[in-house]
This record gives sequence, C-alpha cells and structure tokens, in this order.
Amino acid sequence: MKRLTLLLASLLLASVLSPAAAKDQLHLYNWNNYIAPETVKRFEDFCKCEVVQTYYSDNEELLAKLAAGARGYDILVPTSNVIQPLIKGGQLKPIDKAQLPNLKNIDPAYLNTPFDPGNKYSVPYAMSLTVIGYNDQKIKELGLPTDTWAVVFEPKYLEKIKGRVTVLDSSSELFAAALKYLGLSANDVDEAHWKQAADLIKKAKPYWAAFNASSYIKELTVGNIWLVHGYSNDIFQANLDAQAAKRPFHILHGLPKEGAVLAVDNMVIHKDAPRPDLAHKFMNFMLEGKNSAELTNLIGSGNPNMEALQYIKPDIRKNPAIFPDKAMTSKLEQLKDLTTAQRRVRNRMWTEIKAGR
Amino acid sequence: MPGTSFHSAMTSRSSERFGKWLVSAPPLVYLLFFFAIPSLIMVLASFRTPGEFGGLSPLIEDGKPDLNLDSYVRFFTESVYAQIFVKSVWYALLTTLFCLLLAYPLAALIARSPKKYRDLLLLLVILPFWSNFLIRIYAWMIILGPNAAMARAVNGVLSWFGHEPVALLFSSFAVLVCLVYVHLPFMVLPLYANLEKHDQALLDAAQDLGANGWQRFWRITFPLSLPGVYAGAALVFIPALGIFAIPDILGGPEDSLIGNVIKQQFLETRDWPFGSVLSIVLTVAALVLAGLAAWVGRSQLGTRSSGALSRA
Amino acid sequence: MRRRPVALWAAAAAGYAFLYVPLIIALVTSLVSTVLGTMAGVAMYRYKTRLLPILVLTPIAIPEILMGVSLLIFFVLLNFTLGLASVALAHIAFCIGFVAIVVRARLAGMDESLTEAARDCGATPWQAFRHVTLPLIMPGVIAGALMAFTLSIDDFVITFFTAGAGTVTLPLQIYSMIKIAVTPEVNAVSTLLMLLTLALIVIASKLTPSLLRSD
Repeated sequence: MKRLTLLLASLLLASVLSPAAAKDQLHLYNWNNYIAPETVKRFEDFCKCEVVQTYYSDNEELLAKLAAGARGYDILVPTSNVIQPLIKGGQLKPIDKAQLPNLKNIDPAYLNTPFDPGNKYSVPYAMSLTVIGYNDQKIKELGLPTDTWAVVFEPKYLEKIKGRVTVLDSSSELFAAALKYLGLSANDVDEAHWKQAADLIKKAKPYWAAFNASSYIKELTVGNIWLVHGYSNDIFQANLDAQAAKRPFHILHGLPKEGAVLAVDNMVIHKDAPRPDLAHKFMNFMLEGKNSAELTNLIGSGNPNMEALQYIKPDIRKNPAIFPDKAMTSKLEQLKDLTTAQRRVRNRMWTEIKAGR
Repeated sequence: MPGTSFHSAMTSRSSERFGKWLVSAPPLVYLLFFFAIPSLIMVLASFRTPGEFGGLSPLIEDGKPDLNLDSYVRFFTESVYAQIFVKSVWYALLTTLFCLLLAYPLAALIARSPKKYRDLLLLLVILPFWSNFLIRIYAWMIILGPNAAMARAVNGVLSWFGHEPVALLFSSFAVLVCLVYVHLPFMVLPLYANLEKHDQALLDAAQDLGANGWQRFWRITFPLSLPGVYAGAALVFIPALGIFAIPDILGGPEDSLIGNVIKQQFLETRDWPFGSVLSIVLTVAALVLAGLAAWVGRSQLGTRSSGALSRA
Repeated sequence: MRRRPVALWAAAAAGYAFLYVPLIIALVTSLVSTVLGTMAGVAMYRYKTRLLPILVLTPIAIPEILMGVSLLIFFVLLNFTLGLASVALAHIAFCIGFVAIVVRARLAGMDESLTEAARDCGATPWQAFRHVTLPLIMPGVIAGALMAFTLSIDDFVITFFTAGAGTVTLPLQIYSMIKIAVTPEVNAVSTLLMLLTLALIVIASKLTPSLLRSD
C-alpha cells in the first residue's frame, strides 16, 4: 500500500513539474482543422507568444458553454447566425478597428452584415456552402442530375441510390435545403411552409442511409456512400482523401440551381478575453492575404479576402462551389437565428421526423 | 463479569453508530456538494423559460420570479417525446439482456480459472476500454460497412433465399451491437466480483447429492449470483438509457433515442428547461426501474441476508 | 499534400498534455472515487441508509449533458477556475456510484459470520473491517477502481463542459475531429494511451502484488 502511494505521488509530482511555459498565451477556441499549422507557427514567431488551441465541432456547443459561463478564451470563430445571439447575450468585446489595418482586404460584400452592422464585433474569416457531394463514377453510371436538390428529395431519383445517400444531421440545414427546393427562402418562418418541407423530408427519408454530420466524408471516400448533402470544404476534403487513396473515382461538388446556404465564419473576441491585445494582433495577421489563403489551400474553404485571391491555388480558385460566380451568389442565403418559440416548433417537427411519425 | 460486558456492549453500540457516520459521511458530503446542489440548479431550470439567446432567462423578472410549468406541459402533450422515450427503454432492456447472456459465461470462466490468470483475464476484458470510446464506435463502422466481410457474408446467405440485401450499418442492428459491445465490461466486472466468491464446496455437495450440471447452475450458482446480476444490470441499463453517441454515428434515420433528443435541447434548440424536463423524466424512470429491480432482488435474497443482519 | 490534424502536433508541442492530462485525471478520479465508493457501498449494505443510495445512484442515471451543464454553472457560480481540478471533481461524482454498486454486490455475497467472529474475538469495528472485510471485498474494490478509471479516461460529455480553456483530453480532441474523419494518427495516439495505461497498471501490480491478488 505504501509503495503504491509513493508511486502515485511521484507520478503526480512529475506531471506538475512538467514543461508548462507561462509565456504570453493566446487562447484560440476554433473548429478543428480550421487553421493551417504553418500559419499558427508563423504567428507565434511574429508575436513571440504561444497559441493555445481548444476545439469545438458545433456552434451550439460554443453557445452552450459560453451561456453557462465558461471563460478564458480570447478568440472564437463562430458562424454568422450565431453572432447575433452572442452579441445580444453580451458575450463579445467590441473590436478596435484602429488595430486592424488589414481589414481593408475584405470584400465589402461580406462586411456590414445584418448580424453585425458596422462590424463592431466580428471580422469574416472563411466561408463554406452547403451543397451536394457525389461520387462521379457511380452517379454518372446511374445517370442522375447533380445540379438540383431533387436528387436528394425526389423518390424517383432516390430509388436508384437507396441506402447510399446521407443528409446533414442539422434541422436548420436540412429544412433550408427543403425550403429552397420548394422555391421558398431558407429563412422562411411560416409554419405551413415548414410543414410542407417536413412532408418532403419524410417522403424521402426511407431512401436515406442516415442523418450524418460527421463521418460522411469517410463514407464518401471509401465508396460506401455515393451522394451527400454536405459542406463544401468537407466534400473538397473527401476528394483529396479519395485521390490520396488512389480510388478510381472523384468526389465532386454539385451546385443546386434552386440555391444553397452560405455559412460565413467570423473571428470575434470574448468579453472576458485575457489578452485582447494578442487577439487583435491575431485578427490583423489573419486578415493578411497570404495567411488567409493558407486555410483555403488547405481545406478548400471560401475566402472573403480580396488580397488572398492571388495566393490561392488555381484549381481551387476555379471551383464554383468554393468561389461561386455572380449567378450562384445571388441564390445563396445565410441562415438567420430563430426565436425561442420558433425553435420549439422546429424541434418538435424535427423530433417527429426522427421518430418516424 | 456483567460490568465489563455491559460496558463493552455500550461502547460497541456507540462505536457502531460512530462507525456508521464515519463510513457514510464522506461520500454523502461529497455527493451533496458536487452532485445534489448542481442538480437542484437544473431542477430549478426546468421551471424556467429559455433565454432568448441561449441559456436561461433571468430568474427574477420585473421583481417576480419567472417560474412556470410550460416545459412539463409540453412533455405531456406532445406525445412524440414519450414515444422515443419508450423506444429507448426497449433498446436499453435488450442491451441489458444480451449483455447478461454474453457476460455471464465469460465472468464464470474468469472466476473459475486458476488464480494466476484471473487478473490477466480481467485486464484483457477491460483493456480495449482504455482506448477511446469514439474510435471504437468508428471501428464498428468499418466492420459493418457494406463492403466488409460480415455484410457480404450475410447478404450472400440472404440472396440464396431471394431476399434483398440488408444494410448492417446505419440501422438498429448496428446500434444494438455497439450498445452491447460498449457496456459489456460493466456487466462482466460485477458478475465476476460476485461469482469469484462462490464456494466450490456447495457445488460439490450438490453433486454428491445427485444434482446434474444444469440443476447445480440453476438452483445454486444463479441464485447466489443474483446480486451481481442486478448490479451489472443496473450498470448497463441505466447508462444505456441516456446514450447519444452511438445512434448519432451508427444509427439510421429512425434510430434517434431519448439521449439524442436531450442533447438537441441543450445544443440545437437551446431549450435548457425542456432539456431538463426530459432529463428529469429519464432519471426518475431509471431510478424507479432500478429501485424495482433492487426490491425484487432483496425479497429474493431475504432469507439469506436478513438473518445475518438481524444479529449485526 | 497530406492533411494533418492540427490538434495532435500542437498538443505534442505543448508537452504531450493530451496524453498525461487524462491519465492524471483518471488516476485521481479512480483513487478518490474508489475510496468514497467503497465507503458508500459498505454503508449502503451494512447500515441501510436512506439518502445515500439515491445520491449514489442518481449520477449514473442522469444524462451526462445535464450533469455537465449543471456542474459548469455551479463552478462558475463559485468562481472556481476551470481546469484539471474541475474535470476530476466532476468525474469523481459519477464514478462513486459505479464503485459503490460493485462493492455492495460483493458484500452481498459475503459471509457475515466471519466478521462477527472477529468482533467476538475482541476486534474493534475498524480492525474487523481492515483485516477481515476489506481483504474479502478487495476484488470488488479493484473491479470498481478499474471501472472508475475506464470511465474517467474515456469520458467526453462531462469533460467537455467542465474543462478549462487550456485543458485538453484525447476524447475532446477526437470529438472535435470527427468531422474531418479520424486519421491513422489518432488511432495511433489512442493505442499509445492505452499502452501507457497498461504499463502503469503493470508497474503498480509489481509494486503491490497483494492488492491485485484475488484473495
């Protein structure tokens, strides 16, 4: 017993004395794989500080943690529809534009949004579209269209790919796609329209393999799943993986002509940030074209930074799912947040869909 | 000498009481502080309204406490939640049953093996569970995938009968298999702890008296192992009720369980009060069922332990 | 260009934090919850207290999200800095129940007369416990400790809510990587953690052979 205690005590001691630099630290709370490692290293050299990263995989997780009172983070990277609740909830610190000379690099089309007029709190970071991803070999064999949401919702197409389709496990994304297909706005809040969308979803559900927001990339890469409702950078990733594994097919983006959801992720500063000075330095650094481009080159995310365009790889630059043309851009919509009452109705409908009613 | 025995009887009674407090106080205090109080916060939350921007709206609104039964009413009127709840209970029961059927022989095997191997075997049972939970679930995605050996074998057999190929992955089958896999050690360990103590002499005596293998098991081993069975069942059934990761990753479009719905309330819908209501219902149901099982277990054990206890 | 998860390399640079942090938390959790859980198991079996069983069993029944969020709110109310300690405290709360249940099941199968004989021979309750009861229930205690360790090292939900800004554990890491699909590196790290744990147990058992023997 004594020796066991000794062992444990020495272990604890060793762990406490292990390397823990108390240098200047910037706490970055971000999506995983949403910043290139080279960029982080370069920033650390530039500011002579250490970047401590923690991750979340869902905006809602971020909101829940902050709402319950967690602090210690400097920079957060939420999506635009979540910025409004954060601002109204008093969770953010206003930015000092004087410290951000590189802000001029951002395409004005992405500034001054309804979520944050005047960009008092946020600065655009990267974007993605929610589109269709498909296995080009299989889908061409079956002769299915890839430029319309019909291939996700219409039984006449679905029966050819039964059990080989996944959709996102997000009520807002799926309802948005259904609403767009029905010719309505993704932000429509009419309950009757929601009912129509829900019926459309229920009709198509028996043909879907799963509601999946996480492993569909892998399933696409491996060839188990042939068509997905997914995020453009995930689909880009699946293609990279498929090529690296020398698969005989490509994973391509399908841009639905009815329109799609655009998600813009922004850098914001938490109200209790321990180092707002470092946070501003980081923001300005990421607003530089070269640094911003690194992320796009890494994961195929859209980029609102005009100065970055010259550093982006040509094949990514030409991809219409990553840099949509004017016609497509007019059909894109950013999701707006719902009120509590609306969220409750939506959740009941979603649960009914999931319960098989 | 009467004096001494009375004195020692007195001290033994008070030291008995002291012993009782000594043993039950630390866990009691710890749990009161780190569990009961936080839980009360959430029970209170179930009576509040959700904050417009996440979290909860202020407790005192315009000088009056903002408490209501909205969320409870919702649970009892919108029946879809009760439906999913029942489904989850069913899945948890199935999981417990299969775990019991698989774990019992394994625990018995370990308990009967030579002493020097027992620790090793126990370690082997537990070891995979020190690798990451999510990765193990992912492993099942590979095993049950449509192009993997298992699916091909099953579908090969089915095609002989002219049956359409079935998907093993993204189905209730996948969810159940993984549920059983994940909870197995929690059934094995309590069963082992109990079976290990069984006196071989009892079984030998029974054999001498003419009992065959099955009778020895059913009339001696199994009843004696019931406390272990109940412990294992509790440790499997109760957590299985609330699980959400497995249906999330391996489930099909209709395999949502109550755990998933609760997670949604806290995250996607930001309706913490409703999430609390669902959680409270889940917790109460689990405790009631566990209590029932314990009561049944106690009445069966009654003859053995109550005799010993009445003298203690 | 082969994509590499940022997580692992950054964490490796931070001194393998994501490897030893969960180990420490799990060790502390296992130790404390085994002690408290054994006490609880004995109390529940011997003394038939009313309150304790409820307090012990409910943390197991309650959905982890609820516990995670309520503990987070609680810690914030107390102005308690989130970090290793908050995670450990949270883990201990739900592990006590597991240990208690196993220990109680073990006690139920035990022969009371041995303890009584010891008492009749003049042993104090503590001596009777230490020299008679404890060795007899040791396999149950060890089984409970193993379970507590396993639960802690792999926990995700409660850890997510109670972890501090810099606390990183492997399950948290992996959960955040789910979207980009799990790479072989993650599997390798997971295996590494498992082997490290195994090494720890083996060393411990060599130093204290009596503890792990079943009688």
